[in-house]
Amino acid sequence: MKRSMLFGLALLAACTAWSQRAVVTKEGEGKIGINLGAYQTGGDGASRTFLAVLKADLNRSGYLTVVSSGGEVAVVGRCVPGGGQLVADCQVYQTATRRSLLGKRYNAPENSARGLAHQVADEIIFAVTGKPGMASGKITLVGNRTGRKEIYICDMDGQNMRQVTSDRSIAVGPRWTPDLQNLTYTSYKRGYPNVFMTGRAKPLSSYGGLNASGAVSPNGKSMALILSKDGNPELYVMGLGFGGGLERLTRTRQCEASPCWSPDGNHIVYVSDSSGTPQIYILPRQGGQPMRLTTSGTENVAPDWGKNGYIVYSSRVGGRYRIMIANPVNRTVRELETDWADYEDPSWAPDGRHIVCSRTSGYRSSIYLLDTQKDSPIPLVSGSGDWYSPSCSP
Amino acid sequence: MLSIKESGYVIMCKMVVKSLFFVALAGSLALTGGCKSKKANSADLYGSGGNLYGDPLMGDVPLNDTMGLPADGDRSMFPPVYFAYDSSQVNPEEAGKCDQVAQYLKKGKGGVIVEGHADERGSREYNLALGERRALAVRDYLISLGVNPSVIQTKSYGEEMPEDMGHDEGAWRMNRRAVFAIY
Repeated sequence: MKRSMLFGLALLAACTAWSQRAVVTKEGEGKIGINLGAYQTGGDGASRTFLAVLKADLNRSGYLTVVSSGGEVAVVGRCVPGGGQLVADCQVYQTATRRSLLGKRYNAPENSARGLAHQVADEIIFAVTGKPGMASGKITLVGNRTGRKEIYICDMDGQNMRQVTSDRSIAVGPRWTPDLQNLTYTSYKRGYPNVFMTGRAKPLSSYGGLNASGAVSPNGKSMALILSKDGNPELYVMGLGFGGGLERLTRTRQCEASPCWSPDGNHIVYVSDSSGTPQIYILPRQGGQPMRLTTSGTENVAPDWGKNGYIVYSSRVGGRYRIMIANPVNRTVRELETDWADYEDPSWAPDGRHIVCSRTSGYRSSIYLLDTQKDSPIPLVSGSGDWYSPSCSP
Repeated sequence: MLSIKESGYVIMCKMVVKSLFFVALAGSLALTGGCKSKKANSADLYGSGGNLYGDPLMGDVPLNDTMGLPADGDRSMFPPVYFAYDSSQVNPEEAGKCDQVAQYLKKGKGGVIVEGHADERGSREYNLALGERRALAVRDYLISLGVNPSVIQTKSYGEEMPEDMGHDEGAWRMNRRAVFAIY
């Protein structure tokens, strides 16, 4: 048993070492100035939307700042509509050396100017910084503006909101499948809490009692979930392929909740109140001895294990929910600086630098983007009821 | 079945533990529970002794499949059972409400869906599990009173269906509840 735990930790270490270059370390130098002053657009709405969204994405990335004069990097080219298509030429170069960083022609249907801008933004960010962007990512979340609790998706900037479910029931905890084609979620549309996947009428899990928090593994072959069919809420892993199969991973006398896979699929992080308060634990995929990750605080919940190796979660500190980032290898924890509101249900953005979470103040919930480095929080989705339980595409 | 009744007795007495006898009995039961997983040191990981007095779950009695079962019932027949913050323990002052339900169910007229709820504090997913545990604690208590497990279903609403829409301690107290929906 000890040996397998050590092996597991070694894997965790490998996973985290890969990421340490990019995340959480404060950068001493300022942002890179990027000048789009010479970039041309047509007089039409689509190409102007393209440029406005592109600039906003570059600014939101945290690495770049759009400047109107000077700047270390310049983007030239033009975006024009033609034949129902939007064509964007982009040349990105270092102003001092004239060295080209990116030269490419992009096109998309005229009605997807935003999507095209997100794609170009991420390619520019990668070309300039060598780091992944987040602009092309998607957020799934729950909203109650219809009077029911339905699942929605929107872009990483909070725009392009679309309603996914019309179950007229209660939807809880949407998560992306690893192929980004579907979502898993819990719904009461059949009377009892069952786990569903979009695009399938039948529930993935409908045992007696609670079926909740379905999280598909990175390889898409199984799903971690919480079931109470054996008399107590416990963590299980269900096979999604032919024949299925169900393994029970925990045996406690208390609650388990909120499973999330490690990026390599070898571990599962989850919440258990087996110590008397909700705390975060890590289990090997095949089961075994859980390792307790959080050692302080009365309530540590809602973990999300990023591709960067770090686990972000929500912790009750001084009566308020705060966002914490833990390194599962050396178990160091850092608190993100936030104001007096409650910040809950954090989810790593695809860039491994930002975190999307819900912010509740005055009993109203909205969705915020937090930076793990130094940028100020940005509101992404607010108004028209409450918005909560965001989850970013990985 | 005998052990379920015994521990039911312990739960009833747990708030008024006066004698060493009860402490010893509760302790031995907790030990038995811990050994079930055949991992001697699992108690350390899960905080040993944490559930000596507080554990309301007695038998892990499997739940029915919900296929073909009613999903709703009459909630007006019996008052809800209320819980303390982050607790799924059926308090002695609330247990009497379960006794009435048990008497009704033992007449064999129908069944009950025990609907577990949590207040708005805490994460939604954790509250789903907490609501389920509250429903299961009530279910286990009903079983200990002799009700046939097959007529008791559980359904957790977590924090999704508050009874009181307020945001103060008074509202939260009303929302930490298990509701009896009789079918």
